[in-house]
Amino acid sequence: MTLTPEERDRYARQMGPGVLSEEGQLRLKNSTALVTRVGGMGGPASQTLTMAGVGRVIIAHGGDMISPDLNRQVLGSESVLGKPRAPHFGEYLKTMNRFVEIEAIDHEPDDEEAEQLATRCDIIVSCPPTFTERLRLNRAAVSAKIPFIDAAQWGMAGTLIVCKPGETACLQCAYPKAPPFEEFFPVVGGISAAIGAMAALEAIKILSGTGVVLFGKMLSYDGFAGRVDVVDMTRNPDCPCCGNTSPSDA
Amino acid sequence: MKITLVVTGRSYHLTKNIPSQLELDAGSGLGEAISTINDHLPTEQPLPQSCLIAVGGKHVGTVGTHPPTDLNDGDELVIIAPVAGG
Repeated sequence: MTLTPEERDRYARQMGPGVLSEEGQLRLKNSTALVTRVGGMGGPASQTLTMAGVGRVIIAHGGDMISPDLNRQVLGSESVLGKPRAPHFGEYLKTMNRFVEIEAIDHEPDDEEAEQLATRCDIIVSCPPTFTERLRLNRAAVSAKIPFIDAAQWGMAGTLIVCKPGETACLQCAYPKAPPFEEFFPVVGGISAAIGAMAALEAIKILSGTGVVLFGKMLSYDGFAGRVDVVDMTRNPDCPCCGNTSPSDA
Repeated sequence: MKITLVVTGRSYHLTKNIPSQLELDAGSGLGEAISTINDHLPTEQPLPQSCLIAVGGKHVGTVGTHPPTDLNDGDELVIIAPVAGG
């Protein structure tokens, strides 16, 4: 597969010194990314991946759009209120880049489907609200030995953990036991966009082979306090999820 | 000895009474530091067990699960309360 003249024109701003090489852009074109869910963080993440030219972007999100979603869910709009999110979000992404295939799943994958999806992907960008879903996606990524980016938010704070199964800590190394979940979590759209975009940037770097990836690190952005921390994550050799996982052969 | 304490993430609003510089006895470890922090919090609202702890930029565990860890004068202790939302 090569880049067409139209694709070279589209990606002209992101190819060259300090950004992607032509080979890197081609690697993006030949990649598949799973982003789920595609609400506050997943929306900007999937939008960024689509615009960057990731060849296939698979999104998953169930349910209908409600008014409180519109403080952060950039793939939605007033016209989507009361309607299923996934098909509309998928159609919107298609309008952003005709060179990218978009696959929209109208529900959150269960354990089995997450494992199946992971075998079709080169990366998982995890943006759901609950630890249950996040740990499920983590397990699927570890099983498939593909990179996993965990994005999370609350209030004006967010975290990003970038995992390489078999080499770095996985999400369960960080949270051996799922913390309690607050159903009506507070969130300002700015942190959703920031964390989602940073997650996508890490994915772009991984898929294209560009730059220094935050593998094995947690980036904590506390927008309320105006503070950023980058922490070296420690892998748990007895982790029930990744303890027996060796690095990928890829 | 004195260590710098940062509490960030979800529970920061519960910790406004915790000083940013924590005085500890010489030879204190992470366990003592956590106890001292909890002394500044309401009894019914101690640091959540799932808070991630980093000493000098390195993840050592959570409030509930961490190995014995020595602290030294000038160390920075960062406690990141888990965030979750979509």
